[in-house]
Amino acid sequence: MNKRKIYPQWFLLLPLILYVVFFLFPSLLGVFYSFTDWGRNTAREGLHFVGLQNYIDIFTSNKNYAAGILNTLKFTLISNVVKIIPALFIAILLYEGLKKTGIYRTIFYLPSIIPFVIIGILFRSIFNFNNGLLNAALEGIGLGAFKQKWLSDLGVVWKSIYGVDAWRGIGYVMTIFLAGLSAIDKTYYEAARVDGAGFWQRLWHVTLPMMRGAIMINLVFGITYGLKVFDIIYVLTNGGPGHATEVMTTYTFQLYSSGQYGLSTAFNTLLLLLTAVVGVLIVRTMSRNEEV
Amino acid sequence: MKRIATLVICIALALSLFCVSASAENVVIEAVPNEGQFAGEELSILVSTGWMDNRYDPTIERFEETYDVSVDLQVIPADQYQDILQSNLANGTCPDIFWIQSNPFAIGTQIVNPEEYCIDFTGEAWQAIMPEARQTSCVYDGKLYGLQLWHNSPEYVMVYNKTLFDELGIEAVPTTYEELKAVCATIAEAGITPWFVPGADGWQHQLAFFQIGGVYEETNPGLYEALNNNTATFAGNEKMLEVLGQFKELSDLGYFGEDWIGTDSTNMVNEYADRNIAFAMANSSYIKQLQEEAATGDEYGMFLIPLGDNDWFPTNPAGPTMFGFKGTEHEDLVRAFFQFVCTPESLQEILDNSPNYTNLDVNVEIDQHWLPEEEEFMATVNPDKMGVSVLQTGTKYTNDYWMQFGQDLIAYCQGTIEANDVLANMDQNRADGASVVGDPNWQ
Repeated sequence: MNKRKIYPQWFLLLPLILYVVFFLFPSLLGVFYSFTDWGRNTAREGLHFVGLQNYIDIFTSNKNYAAGILNTLKFTLISNVVKIIPALFIAILLYEGLKKTGIYRTIFYLPSIIPFVIIGILFRSIFNFNNGLLNAALEGIGLGAFKQKWLSDLGVVWKSIYGVDAWRGIGYVMTIFLAGLSAIDKTYYEAARVDGAGFWQRLWHVTLPMMRGAIMINLVFGITYGLKVFDIIYVLTNGGPGHATEVMTTYTFQLYSSGQYGLSTAFNTLLLLLTAVVGVLIVRTMSRNEEV
Repeated sequence: MKRIATLVICIALALSLFCVSASAENVVIEAVPNEGQFAGEELSILVSTGWMDNRYDPTIERFEETYDVSVDLQVIPADQYQDILQSNLANGTCPDIFWIQSNPFAIGTQIVNPEEYCIDFTGEAWQAIMPEARQTSCVYDGKLYGLQLWHNSPEYVMVYNKTLFDELGIEAVPTTYEELKAVCATIAEAGITPWFVPGADGWQHQLAFFQIGGVYEETNPGLYEALNNNTATFAGNEKMLEVLGQFKELSDLGYFGEDWIGTDSTNMVNEYADRNIAFAMANSSYIKQLQEEAATGDEYGMFLIPLGDNDWFPTNPAGPTMFGFKGTEHEDLVRAFFQFVCTPESLQEILDNSPNYTNLDVNVEIDQHWLPEEEEFMATVNPDKMGVSVLQTGTKYTNDYWMQFGQDLIAYCQGTIEANDVLANMDQNRADGASVVGDPNWQ
């Protein structure tokens, strides 16, 4: 086994040191601070251990932080569904059916390189009720009845966020699926066709099983992105209207801004735990399926 | 009829000018005599961008010439200023004079330890040039530390289209909530949004609640003090609940526009110019901007926010304020500088070099440059109703949670929380803020 080694183990040392110093240690420090009253006044008053008080505050505060946690989970689930399923079909379409796929790939991928701040400015303008492009277009084609308060109506605002998030993210997800599709041996499809398999049967029995790796990557990336979501919410609604679209990170940001660093890191620790648990579960589930 | 109206306005203006000049105590400060005692010294000043601009330049030049000294002005970008000031104070390398954006609680929360860092000016005659409300931003624990020279133009009152009001037959501006509602109904019937509230900005709509602090204090005398001592709460305050209810009622009636929660203020000038809106909360200087940018020929005026039947002027004692650094080697020169800028000649010079401001809020007879609209508006304000600060700077930790209150107010207008929850959340936020700085009243 050792004879087949290409690189010596000490090559690991530098990245390991960087990882420990700049990632692991600050993360553990953050967990430690979540059990303290770390705040703006700490330099003067000192740091005090408060046990689980910050965590108790999160779940018992009348500010309804729990709704922020639920919103985070909801966003994680729905945003992945609205991105992964369409992205998969677009990838298949581009891979199998269309000519000049390079142009389409570029068009679909382009939104994911636009900074969130620009997306926020762009879509806040498009979604404006009175002067926005979307409502004007709906009116222009005689569909004025479908005009919406896209970012201020409680029944619509989340759909607007999912829509913008999908617009931005589908191209990225699609690119990973395209890589997965290109790795599938074409003989499988030829054999399936010979056996008389239609599109859905080929999708179910060939494409999806062979794409397990790409799906897992998209799921892990998508779920971790969903749990950590901040930018898209911040630039579009900043948690509003009211507190309707608050997520864990917007609360973390608010608490940090107001000098409640301990409580803020408690939120981050919860997020870390949630991300770790969900991430490990997905990887384990998918790995088990691969072994089968 | 027009002649009578003109006559009445003229008399009112004359009376207002008389009142303004009569109410000023006209304190006259004289500069420290020059006996060559400071010759060759250098005075350093640390200030954030925009707090002095060029308006102090002629005064500083005269100061340098008068005492044969030099002034080193260190102007720091606003986003870096706090960090630089705090580190300078902490390591004892602060310039002789430094500035902070003060309010009645800022000395305790920003400078934190004024006894260690600030020259004690208690007993200096120039204290009297500042109106009492401003002195609260300069005094801590009974000692005078700061000097605040700032304008007192009406801030965030209702700026309305006077021509439009006339055309719609609205004869008088509303002074009570019921009158406001009636005016809104008349305007809405004409297909115009009565009150433009840019809720998407996140920081403007809650002004309607906070700018009328005087009416809360009047209804519950001692409320501000009790709030600052943590012996009273926002929650359960009947007047505040009434105002929140009125705000929601106007929102429900559509008087803020169809989508005020999703609308920001970027298009406000055009909305005024196109007569899509009749009034909005703005500063008096906004009238000048409207006249220049909209250029429609419409006349504008101002009235107090009438929620809660408010008739209190939104006095706001916050503003950039000068402090002397205790560790300076030129304490006498610092004292001489403070005295120098308080002389009538310097004050006039400072105002004359401030194109964006129409007045200086001082008890000194100087030639103020009030806009005609400001004078007309100020004539309608009862001088006895100017002594209470707006709620956000009159009570501790309130301003720190401005945005959260705005979010709660929107949530209330959308029916997801109750009015008292909005107030209770502010209590909770203020308690959090107090705990961050270790305020003993909350322990």
